[in-house]
Amino acid sequence: MLIRRLKENSIELMDIEPIEAELLRQVPGVCDSGGDSRSEARLFSSPASSTEGQFLNDWTEYVQPGLRHLFLSARTTVKEDLEKLPELKGHRGRLVVPRTHCDAWLNALNQARLILATKFNFTDRELSMHEAPKWFSRRDMVLQQINFYAEVQERIIDVIEDE
Amino acid sequence: MAETVVETKVETSLGTPWNVVVHDDPVNLMSYVTMVFQRIFGFSKQKAQHHMLEVHQKGRSIVWTGARERAEFYVQQLHSYLLLATLEKAE
Repeated sequence: MLIRRLKENSIELMDIEPIEAELLRQVPGVCDSGGDSRSEARLFSSPASSTEGQFLNDWTEYVQPGLRHLFLSARTTVKEDLEKLPELKGHRGRLVVPRTHCDAWLNALNQARLILATKFNFTDRELSMHEAPKWFSRRDMVLQQINFYAEVQERIIDVIEDE
Repeated sequence: MAETVVETKVETSLGTPWNVVVHDDPVNLMSYVTMVFQRIFGFSKQKAQHHMLEVHQKGRSIVWTGARERAEFYVQQLHSYLLLATLEKAE
């Protein structure tokens, strides 16, 4: 898959392999923590030490709902963009994403990577490994999925920074 | 006639400065963290990379120091990008 700037107002994901399309389609679902407390704790991390009781209470009451809405909105944007990607039956696909959606994509991909890394307890060392294992367990597959999302993020950032 | 000069002493309470601290996180990409620092704080790419590397190598970096209200705003912004950020009193 290649990602490039198409026009001033959009980016193009081209030569999308069926497996890549499948992984992209999983992003919005993966972002749903399903109420998993550890994933929630990572998405909504503490902004101060426990001595800042009043601030933490205010944060939970007033700031967290806004963050939750932002994260959900990013997932929804990505989901709606991906609905324009046709089913790929053995051939490569193409998707055009409005430039204004790039932040939502970066945010949703980050959510997906954070949740997968938290759920599967990946260590720093594992997350920085890029060589493919000799055999694949479910956990190895998830690590490849995290790395794929990281590559997509990197390419989107490259495109944004080229502007 | 004698002039009366009234001096008004204006006291500005600056209060304790607060640090905005970003903590290391193995998931967030270096390029992503650099981009976020540039966007939120208006850092040059070089300065943003310096703080990003400090986070990566030392586990944390103080990216801004100043008034409490502003520090809270920056922490909120950093959380919206899913970075691990806290505010703490500057020593």
